[in-house]
Amino acid sequence: MDNAQATSYLSHFIGKTLRIYTTDSRIFAGQMKCTDKDRNVILALTHEYRQPSEVAVRKAIQDSGNPAAQVPLSSRYVGLVVVPGQYILRIELEESQFARDTFVP
Amino acid sequence: MADSSRLDEPEKVEYQEIDDSVPVNDAAQDCPNDQPNSTVQAQLPLRPVPHAVSNGTRAWDITEKFTQACSVLNIGQLVKDEYFTLFESIGALEIMDSKMDSGFLHPGETLEDDYDVLKPLLPEEVIGIMDQLLCYEMAWHQGYPLSQTLFTSVYIDKLLWPEPRTLQEAQFYRGDEPQHLGVLHHVLRAYCIGIIKCCDFVIGRITSRDYFEEEDFCTHTYNRVLFSSVPYDFVLHELEMATQFVETETESLTNAGVKSALLARLDFRRSFLMALSPDYSVQDLDRYWPPVSATLPEIETTHDLGRPVHGSFSTKIQRRLASTVPPRPVVELEFKDAFEKLSQLCADCTEAVRYTLIDPCPLEYQSFLWAFATRKPQPLAYARSYLSGFVFAGGNEVFAHLIREDLKALVFPDDQVLDPVNWTIEEPRNPMVPKDRRLQMASLIDEFTNRAMQNYLEFWTSLCQNGCRMRRMLCHSILAFDQLQSDAGVLDDDLQALTSDPQQYPLITWVYHHKLRQIEWVIQLGFEQEIYLPDELAAQYHFLSKVSETRQRLLATLLSAFEQRHSALASLSSTPELSKQIDRLKTSHALLSSLHASATGTMELATSLRQFYILLSYCRLLPTPPRPFSTPALRYELRMKPFLPLSPSEVIPFADMDAILQPCGSYTAPMADLTRMLWSADVWQELEKGIKRAREAWAVVKRMGPEAARARGVQGDWGKGVQGVLASCIAAGVAVAGAREAVEKAIEGETGAGVVGRVRERAKVEVPAASGEAGRGKRYHEWWVVPKIVKA
Repeated sequence: MDNAQATSYLSHFIGKTLRIYTTDSRIFAGQMKCTDKDRNVILALTHEYRQPSEVAVRKAIQDSGNPAAQVPLSSRYVGLVVVPGQYILRIELEESQFARDTFVP
Repeated sequence: MADSSRLDEPEKVEYQEIDDSVPVNDAAQDCPNDQPNSTVQAQLPLRPVPHAVSNGTRAWDITEKFTQACSVLNIGQLVKDEYFTLFESIGALEIMDSKMDSGFLHPGETLEDDYDVLKPLLPEEVIGIMDQLLCYEMAWHQGYPLSQTLFTSVYIDKLLWPEPRTLQEAQFYRGDEPQHLGVLHHVLRAYCIGIIKCCDFVIGRITSRDYFEEEDFCTHTYNRVLFSSVPYDFVLHELEMATQFVETETESLTNAGVKSALLARLDFRRSFLMALSPDYSVQDLDRYWPPVSATLPEIETTHDLGRPVHGSFSTKIQRRLASTVPPRPVVELEFKDAFEKLSQLCADCTEAVRYTLIDPCPLEYQSFLWAFATRKPQPLAYARSYLSGFVFAGGNEVFAHLIREDLKALVFPDDQVLDPVNWTIEEPRNPMVPKDRRLQMASLIDEFTNRAMQNYLEFWTSLCQNGCRMRRMLCHSILAFDQLQSDAGVLDDDLQALTSDPQQYPLITWVYHHKLRQIEWVIQLGFEQEIYLPDELAAQYHFLSKVSETRQRLLATLLSAFEQRHSALASLSSTPELSKQIDRLKTSHALLSSLHASATGTMELATSLRQFYILLSYCRLLPTPPRPFSTPALRYELRMKPFLPLSPSEVIPFADMDAILQPCGSYTAPMADLTRMLWSADVWQELEKGIKRAREAWAVVKRMGPEAARARGVQGDWGKGVQGVLASCIAAGVAVAGAREAVEKAIEGETGAGVVGRVRERAKVEVPAASGEAGRGKRYHEWWVVPKIVKA
């Protein structure tokens, strides 16, 4: 991949919703605004999602008696964030089924 | 004005990993605006299988390719949204940076505290928690956000999150009630619910008025709903139940002192909630706040019974609040200070209620607002909103009436123009018949009130703001009145044609008087807020004296028109109607005389202080900071900026101002005749005479009393204000005498440049500080910076 291809590839994601998994097992979902060589990503209108704590999971299983009980991720709005490349574990492109111009990477 | 950009949204996306079960149904295809489901589904087999599908959202793992693409970018090259600017990017929170990222956990740190809200509490601990909550509540009232104050309470967090659907559901637990939950938990819960509802009312009240987010107050609730939809009698009921629980409980509450301390707190919360409620009855308005104040002493005396429970408050809750700002420390307000604020809030609100009881006259109202704004310490945002709620309760009609009353007091005393009869005359059916003269006057006045309404409302709005904001908003109001002044000319000409009144251009005069008064206020608030440095005071006092001189002349013309009217009436044969008319004229005359005397006093005192500051500058007794990057002309322009566009121009050109301020050349290198000037008895005598004239003028104001000045509603504050100005006059006299003595001694027998040095050896100048928010100043009146001469 040369620079022009890379630029064009990355430009597709601008304004698209990305989910970024970080090393402290949080997920940030927001619209991509900017990225650079170090894979720092700026997301706008971001929500932060966090794995439920072990205590909460255990409690949910205990309460429901079902070892596969669902515990919702806790989330909150954090707005405009920059996720430094070094903490990124995984990047996902999220697309609504209603999106008009479906772009698939 | 009010920050409307609420960023918190309910989270919509769910991330449970569930199988793709979105049915391709007819309903989806009925939506013409959205791409039907089927199309998307049809594409799927040709594409990589999405990693997670939920509620119609698909996601692809792009990590590898994304990383690869990034790695071939050049250093410094950005792939970005073309509308996304560097400026915006500065506002982004950096994830994993402990200073910026409120969700960052240090190694080994857990997200939640292990504080158990259901563990049994001692009654003393409940008191401790209640008092701590009160401290945070007052810190919030002072302007700190909820996230740093009340929302740090684990108990409040548990009540509000997960969001309860009913008040019944708002418990420290969710689901089935635990067995061992004691009475004290119910009491604490009721108290917390009471606090939350109080916060809801406070936010409702403040946002209903003009306020400045994060300047006056933080209304952000971080996506938590403060029981907004719960009727407040439900909350009152909870508090009453709690009171009953405490009264009847014998097992866990054996100490009578503790018991009554708890009851006092519940009682306080109930009456506070009632006082804050937006639904009040106008007749009983004065009965809401006294009960709150009555409960306060017991809370203060029993505070020591409480035992703090530090674990029940935690900064970690911030991590779960919707927040676009970095984490911030918890605000610690001492109980003593919090209690003081609370007492102040009650006192301010009690005072605000008096607004509804004073004479319905615009000038009385203005005096009240001024007295309220100058209360020390400055009233809290809630109290100000509470007051402006009364000010603007009536809407535009009330203000149209106020404008007419204002006009009447100043320019149309008992005049045919504002005769209510004029508004009862009907338009002639036949358009060819000329309209009645009175009807024409009424419609002219209506036209004027309509035109002036917006400006007038803005003027009143500025009077209800915090001190600094008031000054800034008055600067805008001045410009609006300037425009109004030029517009009023046309109506004045039409009006002139209809009446035979000796008063010329009444509407222009009224607007101009308002404008000049506002300019004076802006300058004087500048003294109060210590905007000017000591070496700028001479220029500002000169400007003030010029503006008040203009106003004084304006009032003098008004007074002479009054006298003409009076003599015209007196020459008529006396009837009961006529003597009433003359009485009304006298009342207005008293107001004008009082205004005239205060304008004269302001002018004289300002002139004297200007002269005195000039002399002090020549003696090099005022501190002058080095200003390597500006010139006097530019600094002067900056100070005059709000007034530059006015017409007629009030601003004195810099060259003229400079000539007045530096009659003997620059302060650092004066001309030779400086000593002669300092020596000259005329200069000092003139100064003393000016101060004397100022004192006499203010003595007239004082003698005429609050009734003439239309400040009967706030007699006490008004009296203190006038007394303060008189004291300033006396202090100015003392200071002048002190300076004169020092200068004369320095000059005796010797001449030359050494004089200034010798004066500096003998005397020092202290420029007294304003009292600021705390109310501990050294001035007799905030608007008069009278220097103090101290013998060295």
